[in-house]
Amino acid sequence: MNETFYDVLRRQGITRRSFMKFCSLMAASMGLGAGAVPKIAHALETKPRTPVLWIHGLECTCCTESFIRSAHPLAKDVLLSMLSLDYDDTLMAAAGHQAESILDTIREKYKGNYILAVEGNPPLGEEGMYAIQGGRPFVDKLRECAADAKHIIAWGSCASWGCVQAARPNPTQATPVHKVITDRPVIKVPGCPPIAEVMTAVITYMLTFDRAPELDRMGRPKMFYSQRIHDKCYRRPHFDAGQYVEAWDDEGARKGYCLYKMGCKGPTTYNACSTTRWNEGVSFPIQSGHGCLGCSEHDFWDQGSFYNRVANLSQFGVEANADTIGMTIAAGVGAGIAAHAAVSAVVRYRGKTGIDVPEHGE
Amino acid sequence: MTRHETQGFTLDDTGRRIVVDPVTRIEGYMRVEVNVDENNVIRNAVSTGTLWRGLEVILKGRDPRDAWAFTQRICGVCTGTHALASVRAVENALGITIPDNANIIRNLMQLCLQVHDHLVHFYHLHALDWVDVVSALDADPRTTSELAQSLSDWPLSSPGYFRDIQNRLKAFVASGQLGLFTNGYWGNPAYRLPADANLMAVAHYLEALDFQKEIVKIHTVFGGKNPHPNWLVGGVPCAINLDGVGAVGAVNMERLNLVKSIIERTIEFVDKVYIPDLTAIAGFYRDWQYGGGISSQCLLAYGDIPVRANDYGPDSLLMPHGAIINGDLSTVHDVDLSDPEQIQEFVSHSWYTYPDETRGLHPWDGLTEPDFQLGPNTKGTRTKIEQIDENAKYSWIKSPRWRGHPMEVGPLARFVIGHVRGNPEFKEPVDRLLRTLDLPLEAIFSTLGRTAARGLEASWAAHKMAWFFDRLISNLKAGDTATANTERWDPATWPDDVKGYGFTEAPRGALGHWIHIRDRKIENYQAVVPTTWNGSPRDPQGQIGPFEAALMNTPLAKADEPLEILRTLHSFDPCLACSSH
Amino acid sequence: MATIDDFEIARRSRMVKALYIYRPMNRLWHWVNAATILVLMITGFFMGRPFPSVEGDTSVLYVMGWLRYIHFVAGWILLVGFVLRVYLALSGNRYARELFLPDVLSREWWKGLFTELAWYMFLIKEPPKYAGHNPLAQFLMFCFFVVGLLVMLLTGFALFSEAVGQGSWADHLFGWVIELFGGNSLAVHAWHRLGMWCLIFIILAHIYTAVREDIMSRQSMVSTMISGWRMFKD
Ligand code: HEM
Ligand code: HEM
Ligand code: NFV
Ligand code: SF4
Ligand code: SF4
Ligand code: F3S
Ligand SMILES: [Mg+2]
Repeated sequence: MNETFYDVLRRQGITRRSFMKFCSLMAASMGLGAGAVPKIAHALETKPRTPVLWIHGLECTCCTESFIRSAHPLAKDVLLSMLSLDYDDTLMAAAGHQAESILDTIREKYKGNYILAVEGNPPLGEEGMYAIQGGRPFVDKLRECAADAKHIIAWGSCASWGCVQAARPNPTQATPVHKVITDRPVIKVPGCPPIAEVMTAVITYMLTFDRAPELDRMGRPKMFYSQRIHDKCYRRPHFDAGQYVEAWDDEGARKGYCLYKMGCKGPTTYNACSTTRWNEGVSFPIQSGHGCLGCSEHDFWDQGSFYNRVANLSQFGVEANADTIGMTIAAGVGAGIAAHAAVSAVVRYRGKTGIDVPEHGE
Repeated sequence: MTRHETQGFTLDDTGRRIVVDPVTRIEGYMRVEVNVDENNVIRNAVSTGTLWRGLEVILKGRDPRDAWAFTQRICGVCTGTHALASVRAVENALGITIPDNANIIRNLMQLCLQVHDHLVHFYHLHALDWVDVVSALDADPRTTSELAQSLSDWPLSSPGYFRDIQNRLKAFVASGQLGLFTNGYWGNPAYRLPADANLMAVAHYLEALDFQKEIVKIHTVFGGKNPHPNWLVGGVPCAINLDGVGAVGAVNMERLNLVKSIIERTIEFVDKVYIPDLTAIAGFYRDWQYGGGISSQCLLAYGDIPVRANDYGPDSLLMPHGAIINGDLSTVHDVDLSDPEQIQEFVSHSWYTYPDETRGLHPWDGLTEPDFQLGPNTKGTRTKIEQIDENAKYSWIKSPRWRGHPMEVGPLARFVIGHVRGNPEFKEPVDRLLRTLDLPLEAIFSTLGRTAARGLEASWAAHKMAWFFDRLISNLKAGDTATANTERWDPATWPDDVKGYGFTEAPRGALGHWIHIRDRKIENYQAVVPTTWNGSPRDPQGQIGPFEAALMNTPLAKADEPLEILRTLHSFDPCLACSSH
Repeated sequence: MATIDDFEIARRSRMVKALYIYRPMNRLWHWVNAATILVLMITGFFMGRPFPSVEGDTSVLYVMGWLRYIHFVAGWILLVGFVLRVYLALSGNRYARELFLPDVLSREWWKGLFTELAWYMFLIKEPPKYAGHNPLAQFLMFCFFVVGLLVMLLTGFALFSEAVGQGSWADHLFGWVIELFGGNSLAVHAWHRLGMWCLIFIILAHIYTAVREDIMSRQSMVSTMISGWRMFKD
């Protein structure tokens, strides 16, 4: 039998009192009330640390990088005390077959009791061989690890939506996790990358309360993804007032006006940036003067330039947005009407109206 | 083919084949296969990049002003560096100049990345090649404390502090759940550190994990987040407002103080923890002089960190630039990224296709057309490869060459070039370190030399941040707060058909982006990335790349534990997502 | 149904000079609807491409706020109007139902549509006269005023549901529309905006043909929508 987190603490000579203090600190850091403290304590007293297998597909590793930026809880405490990160090819000591054998061990020993965390996604083109690990396509590994997992987390926009490698024309057929693992829920934690504390909060919530967080219609935890950047943006009063940055580094930029006209995608982006902020609350994209790219949204790469407010309609080619299409057609229709009117006038002027109505409709 | 001579190495694939896949503690996917002789000495080395995403294909037809965001997602580890190369390429193509403050802020961000990336690499990706975590359990915290205090005056060095860490580690190990340390090569005879030093290193592994998240806050101030801060063609997106209406939301005194304090703490951490640890560890591995590869023959750097905005010429760049070939350290060649004869990429051994694969293509004419096929001597099947055939195409990485030569890039290349150019900022720290370790200059051409150069560079970069911060303040004092030039922001002001390139010194080495803009859209975009250079497969001449060369002739203590292989590969800090993009 | 019928026979025999077809509620609906759409188009256009910034304090300045507020109020009126119009169709005369029910299954109707096309292409000298809509007009109005307005209502209220919030009634009723567009509401914005352009050119065409028919086809059009009476000039 594995030791529980509590056993470990006791053996370290930590008293029951300081253990409870730790639990209430944890509750506070997660924004939970005092009522949650006994629950956390219970969870930690009774369970061995949950194994986490963290696997990587096509991605850029910014999600791992983000994760280790977590300030509360500290990444080191997550890794040493809260869970057991038994596999993560970016950080683990073992390599080669010593690394791969860990996957088999955990799948066997903790069948149905480990969390699978997926960063990146599987390409399905070329039989999956755009992402080869251990000589095999990543998609095989994903399927095998998913089969016995208790929960599956899709880290970042890559795993959740496909992200940059899935941007048009998606040369590798990069495919989000939920389209490959279809028989069970996938908890999507999108963002490019997601905020560190959002990542650690999602996973510690699952360990603490022993359940998946409540998800919205698209599979994202409601606790961080149910409101838009725009809903909680501190520049929102300027948006409502009609005060915008008109050009980079202009008067409005220096005063902190709304970035809507510079292409800000805050009004269509569900994420926690404008509230939780980044890197221990230091800032977030808008606070540092650049519009939101919409990096936690589905296909945010393919909506046209990040600097255009009016998004592109991919169905009409790369360069077309509603206004360019609209004005083109409206101009065409206008010209057509004018021409038609002119012809009509000529026809009428000639007054050739002698012929009768053609017979029809009997 | 069983024996083959190239670049002074004899490749011999007759011995036992050892496969390491995945190579871990790197970014992305890499597979390595080596043949060892009867003494377990590596006689043939094959390194393969095993993933491809197609960013160069995806960039076609896009708005050049957006390219930085796409290319930034080439990598979240060297986050920002591709964005910088990209905005520079677009500015170069369109003739856009940036304000002095924007140049300073970009330098601060790039230097910040250098320190951060090097620190995380040393402690979290590389240290376990030198440090036996389990052995730290046997340490006496008092001797560890004495060791730590003899190295620097870093305050976290009391016996009690190390005892706490050791207790935590004991509890962790006793839980039976070793997490990231599961199946490590603990107890392997190639580990040389005494238990006390191992305990100190473990303590610093954890401290560095805590501290690295502080350094990147410089990105957060100027770019809004890290990883993946925001950049801008024509400058930087953050406006400066020191004392006017709304200053509270712009770069103001409070933000500047935050940056300043991070710079100070970073310098302290690097100089009091990183460099002393590096020196101490190196001291125990003085005679482990393997892994030099081609570092004594062919080295390349583009240079970076322009002192003057918009001046990317040699006099303005603080980081060394130039090329050394054929081991001739007396001549440093100038590098011209626009010269079609100098930089070319080959694909004869890469999973791409060219009309004529005996020839290389300059990036402006570059092609990226995937072509996955395995050679006839492959063992296994197409989707279950047991052994790769290195005589055919065998990697998703292209083979860049400078005037036909494979080149090593990275901190070691920069320091050697800086050293032979006589630049004291790069010469003196190397000489000092070698003196401390009592090693000759040639010792730097090794795995350890690469690792040492990286540490020295982190220190250099940390101090340079302080220097640029002061420059920023004096600009502000003089009343200059401009951060962006928007004259050519509107695509309507652009020419119809232009080409440009942008470069930087990324943490892992020389990085170049080449762009061709036609009708305001990206016509072609090519990136040649540090790990493309270092991890390149063979070329039509059969020349091997730096990774493969560095593994050659290294003895393994235990053939089935790839500790030495990891050690040497990690000294390059491979980034595979970067390499193939 | 827009085919030759008893009325047409009576008219051709010069027995009927005028006919009452649009009841007051229909006429009121027509003009309120027209005004609402105009307001939606103007406010919507400037929501996507706002006016140059204005100086002043946010306690008095509420430019974008008002634009959005008016747009949403108009959106509600459009919805209520649409529902009302459906009710009128169910309760009213046959001319009130025409808009919703192009008789696509009848050969007659298609023949009429092509005849009407021929008239617009100057291929025949005089168009057939209809008391209600001619088949072509009926078809186009169905496409744009029924399908088109439904699309605008659905996309509009889907966007509105984002402002009302996840878990709200609006989210439950219309949130699925966003998923239909891939899940990124930026795409919904784009299609909603394209919808506006479609309405613009269809309305241009609508007004043009109404006026032209008035002049050329020797039966009343514009005034019919005002008085309710269709007048025949010969
Ligand atoms: C000055 C502007 C307008 C004029 C003169 C006008 C005129 C007319 C006329 C004459 C008809 C009857 C056609 C017929 O009898 O076959 C009609 C029907 C209709 N118009 Fe307009 N219209 C105008 C603007 C609009 C606008 C802006 C809209 C909506 C956006 C609109 C929507 C409709 C609809 C839906 C019908 C069908 C009515 C029904 O079947 O109940 N109209 N219009
Ligand atoms: C004829 C009908 C309508 C037209 C022409 C119209 C036009 C527009 C336009 C052009 C936009 C700006 C899109 C963009 O560039 O992002 C917009 C936004 C919007 N419309 Fe409509 N609209 C119509 C009906 C409706 C209806 C029925 C509603 C329901 C309440 C609605 C709600 C909205 C909302 C919520 C937005 C987004 C506002 C924001 O982002 O702040 N619209 N509309
Ligand atoms: N190779 C590489 Fe990078 C770096 N340094 C990029 O240019 O790591 Ni991801
Ligand atoms: S979601 Fe974005 S940041 Fe994370 S791995 Fe994917 S590309 Fe990188
Ligand atoms: S800056 Fe962006 S998120 Fe903030 S109010 Fe303006 S549009 Fe909304
Ligand atoms: S770009 Fe991404 S980081 Fe947040 S503010 Fe926008 S979701
Ligand atoms: Mg390339």
